[in-house]
Amino acid sequence: MSPNKNTSNLPSSWLWGAVALGALGVLGTYASAGPERFWANWILWFVLLFTLGLGSLFIVALEHLVNAKWSVPVRRIPERLATLLIPAVPVGLIALAALPVLYPGTRPEAAHHPILAGKAFWLSLPFFSVRTVIALALCILGLWVLVGGSLRQDTTKDPAFNFKARKFAPAFMAIFALVITLVAFDWLSGLTPEWYSDIFGVYVFAGAFLSGLAATSLSVLHLQDEGRLEGVKGDHLYNLGGFLFAFTVFWSYIGFAQYMLMWYANLPDEVIWYKVRLQGAWRLITIALASLHFVLPFFALVTRDAKKDPRRLRRVAYLMLGAHTLDIYWLIFPILGASPRFSWPELSFALFFLGGILLWIRGAMQKGEDMPAGDPFLREGLEFRL
Amino acid sequence: MKLDAATSAGDIPEGLLEPALTVGKVTPGSLDDQVLAFPETKPPRRWYIALAITLTAALIGVVSIGYTFYLGIGAWGNTSPVFWAFDIINFVFWVGIGHAGTLISAILFLFRKRWRNAIARFAEAMTIFAVICAVIFPLIHVGRPWLAYWLFPYPNQRALWTNFRSPLLWDVFAVNTYFSVSLMFWYLGLIPDIASMRDRTTSKLRKLLYTVLAMGWRGAAAHWQHYEKAYLLLAGLATGLVLSVHSVVSFDFATSVVPGWHMTIFPPYFVAGAIFAGFAMVVMVLVVVRETMELKNLITDRHLDVMNKVILAMSCIMGYSYLMEGFTAWYSMNEYLHHGFMNIITGTYGWAGWVTISCNILIPQILWFKKARASYFWMILVAIGVTIGMWFERFVIIVISLHQDFLPSAWRIYKPTIVDFGVLLGTFGIFFTLVLLFARVLPVIATTEVKAILPDAQPSHHGDDHHA
Amino acid sequence: MPEITSASGTGAMPETAFAAEGAPMSDRSFSVLGVFETPDALMKAIPKVRAAKLGTVEAYTPYAIHGIEEALGLRKSPLGGMVLVMGIIGALTALGFQYWISAIDYPIITGGKGAGSWEAFIPIMFEVTVLFATFTAGLGMLHLLNKLPFFGHPVLSSKSIKGITRDRYVLAVEAEDEAFDSAGAAMALRAAGAIEVEALPAPDRSPFLTSDNILRALGGIFVACLVAGLAMYFATKWFPLLKPMANMQDQPRLNAQKPSSFFKDGHGMQQPVAGTVARGHLPTATGTQDEAASLVNPLPRTKEVFALGKKVYTNRCEVCHGAVGTGVGSLTAAYGAKPANLQAQQFLDYPDGKIYWAVVNGKNAMPSHAPYLSEQERWAVVHYVRALQRAQNAKDEDLKVATR
Repeated sequence: MSPNKNTSNLPSSWLWGAVALGALGVLGTYASAGPERFWANWILWFVLLFTLGLGSLFIVALEHLVNAKWSVPVRRIPERLATLLIPAVPVGLIALAALPVLYPGTRPEAAHHPILAGKAFWLSLPFFSVRTVIALALCILGLWVLVGGSLRQDTTKDPAFNFKARKFAPAFMAIFALVITLVAFDWLSGLTPEWYSDIFGVYVFAGAFLSGLAATSLSVLHLQDEGRLEGVKGDHLYNLGGFLFAFTVFWSYIGFAQYMLMWYANLPDEVIWYKVRLQGAWRLITIALASLHFVLPFFALVTRDAKKDPRRLRRVAYLMLGAHTLDIYWLIFPILGASPRFSWPELSFALFFLGGILLWIRGAMQKGEDMPAGDPFLREGLEFRL
Repeated sequence: MKLDAATSAGDIPEGLLEPALTVGKVTPGSLDDQVLAFPETKPPRRWYIALAITLTAALIGVVSIGYTFYLGIGAWGNTSPVFWAFDIINFVFWVGIGHAGTLISAILFLFRKRWRNAIARFAEAMTIFAVICAVIFPLIHVGRPWLAYWLFPYPNQRALWTNFRSPLLWDVFAVNTYFSVSLMFWYLGLIPDIASMRDRTTSKLRKLLYTVLAMGWRGAAAHWQHYEKAYLLLAGLATGLVLSVHSVVSFDFATSVVPGWHMTIFPPYFVAGAIFAGFAMVVMVLVVVRETMELKNLITDRHLDVMNKVILAMSCIMGYSYLMEGFTAWYSMNEYLHHGFMNIITGTYGWAGWVTISCNILIPQILWFKKARASYFWMILVAIGVTIGMWFERFVIIVISLHQDFLPSAWRIYKPTIVDFGVLLGTFGIFFTLVLLFARVLPVIATTEVKAILPDAQPSHHGDDHHA
Repeated sequence: MPEITSASGTGAMPETAFAAEGAPMSDRSFSVLGVFETPDALMKAIPKVRAAKLGTVEAYTPYAIHGIEEALGLRKSPLGGMVLVMGIIGALTALGFQYWISAIDYPIITGGKGAGSWEAFIPIMFEVTVLFATFTAGLGMLHLLNKLPFFGHPVLSSKSIKGITRDRYVLAVEAEDEAFDSAGAAMALRAAGAIEVEALPAPDRSPFLTSDNILRALGGIFVACLVAGLAMYFATKWFPLLKPMANMQDQPRLNAQKPSSFFKDGHGMQQPVAGTVARGHLPTATGTQDEAASLVNPLPRTKEVFALGKKVYTNRCEVCHGAVGTGVGSLTAAYGAKPANLQAQQFLDYPDGKIYWAVVNGKNAMPSHAPYLSEQERWAVVHYVRALQRAQNAKDEDLKVATR
């Protein structure tokens, strides 16, 4: 395998440099571009961090829920990626400072708004913060049980963890549904609190799961480049690629259903959200989103061989992560104005957070064994054939 | 590198191991003798009794439909503002029942859940029968069913085209595609089994029939290769289709501006509900089939356990959807949505709302207990509950949303007539008549697919040592 | 020998080798079957038999065996590509068809949506894509690649077929040319572990129901549909008068300034048949006003009758005769005629019949009110006029009646 220019070969000092440079830009943003721009970027990266971590944790829980065997050898990867939920906690707590700036529902004038007045308590700053804290705490609980338990099993080799995980997985699914819906409604849909769509939680879930899958596939391929994860074959990659493909379609299905129904009914309180995104430069971004998040990955992965091809899988995984970023950007940034903002503040935030995330992942990839060595199903997973 | 650390298969503790897919000694030959023998034997007495009952119900349906044709749609309880009632409720209900079959045959196939092989055939057959029951309703509801072909876009002397912006036309395409694809999927799966029956039957008539139906299938490796590929492709396509069909059915409602209908969560929520109701029906029928046809060694306790788990999962998804529906009704601060939702839980038809919630969300929670998943009493109770609950869910969506629309002076209580109930009963009769006939005429278990997952059915080290 | 190339598609039957021979030759076999009891035994035998290079090696099994296609050296199934192409064609067909109809041939705005609104075309586009793709997968596999139905294959009438569709695994060596060594093939199979060996004749190509004929029929149906559709479309465009089934198109009605085609005399509005009377509209009292004087008001003087009379008077009379019948209505002076003062002595002395006559026939400038008033209403208004007159000329005893 050709280790082409990938992040695992970047020296750590570069990443630290990126973080430092990004931090300067981040501070500069607050000073010169205004708090709104700063917090919009901050929330973008909070949501990205959070969906990446939670989406990875969902993959882990899904395996325990359906007793999947094939994914046991690669399970450690999403487990490690799920630890991104730990840095997501401080980032999320800091993001609470954005509430009065960007979230109209938290401002005092919401009490006199014809629509917001009735749900002012729900949108209010204290309740919003409590919900966020609860959501983050529940995520950490899931992380502790599923990932912590799995890491401890490396040394104990105690199958009791498998029993525990199977018992806990259904409960985690309930927690997951609650958390992802709360975060979707509070942090993303809460930017325009008059707007509502009951599928929105599912939409964000689809994106989160996809980003988790893409990051997992990418990490698996990188570790393979380094000669780790011996025994993980094309058959495992095929399954990862298959999931990526299937959930690309699922995301588009949910996204199209939401758009089409609002377009068709043409109710003013709903379509305004799309009207903003279908005018001017935002229209181009919407088209780009549909192409990058659906059309391109769909055709890239449609054939059976493509799902097994490491090179193609790697490209699609990068594409999916980029498209997911664009998706969250598309959800947040229209509140800043009719013209999309993208210049040095966004780049600085990207440098700062991407550098940080990569450093964190690099550290996480050293945690425990590369495969869940204590899991009794590891051998069966390694023997998996299509 | 870390492979040495991997524990061997022998270390897996008892509770984590999954039970085998078959009980006792099952060989390819014994499987044929057990499953393919049914069509060759004379049906027992109770089969005829069951058939008599279902045929009576079907006859009532035929009479009710005949009366509807004679008198017109006025024979039903539909009246302003509830112009859509039993007809569309039953349509959505039956299309939904069909979805479980496609889920089992296609989606579980893609996920390589091999337990599906034993029940796929029956579930697919139920899909087809359910869709047959479903298409009756749009046909009789158009009022002039002999002009139903007007629904298709073909060049005609009226110089008219169909309206492609109408969700009802999408329905025509979706349901027709669904029926064609399900039929093809089912028939392709049947071909090797029919070939087996062809080669074991002694009756001349059956031999001729099976020979034609099996199309000269001879099990050549080259044929199997294309066959497997086709099956995989069909499974992938049917998976997309099953999502789309009930989504399109949900568009019938969700594209409108009626409060209680216009909800963005409708497409996935309808799909989940369809699979939910369909699984309940499959469990109900399979319990009877495995008991009366003595198939307990092939349709094992594990099968029922897993299917009950799926029902439980779907019930939770339905719970999430109901919750979101209520939450959005409040969160939107839209008085119409609010009124519509309150109607479901406190209105004239509040009882129907609570029947829906109890049958779909509360009762299935019993399946959290392993004992309940293994007990006929509880699983049948849940299955019947879900069937009733899902029918009432459509009643709630359709009738409650319509009977109080934006114009309060037009509000009216809807009352179905005896003809409505007759048609509903009739479709149950038709459905179970077809199920009974199927159980006697064709193999109820896909023997070919089960053979492929028996122990030692596959070469031990394929792909290693035979590259000559 | 090119084993690999000929091993796909037809179940490894080189057609050319036998097309010329006609009837199967009895002295030479077309293929030799070797029966194995387990899939493992079959898989182990494949490389051995293939190495003997006696002919095309094919396997017959009760279900799909994993890895057998590599062992036999079969080419990858081209079905995936076919399905993808047909799926894309289906998507484009559906999109194009819907767009052409909705935006070009029959552009009608419904629901406030533009004629070419693509959002609404997606669901059907998806369904048609799936339809095209599944039919390609199913029929393509069956008819095109596997060449089924084919009832003439020798395996079907062999002794081994009962095992093949049940629990036996059969390896076949099939002839590639006339120099087929059936004895050698049998030996090779036995050497590879076959428990039974069977020689088979050449395929019988006579059955009519074959994949080729089915494909031809399907193609014919498709072409016929296409031709019929296009013909119908252009026929109705070029011959718009062609209307074989226009049961809602012929609706005879009266057009302005045109004779009606419905009635013989060409009039749209027909005179009533002589001697008929509309219900509740008895003809007027015939003759002069004096002759009508003897008519008696048939209605009783009840509250309801007075209420009806008042309604009629207010609607029809008050405008000229005034609220109390004094002849001072709300008409301006521009209206030339002077309405009668119903309170004048002349009218006080009128019998009911004469007032009735005036209502029905009109008098001087007053038009007839017969067309608008039923018999009941006419007499009710007479009662009401009487009441007005009496109210304006009240006597003491009237007051007593009122107070009592």
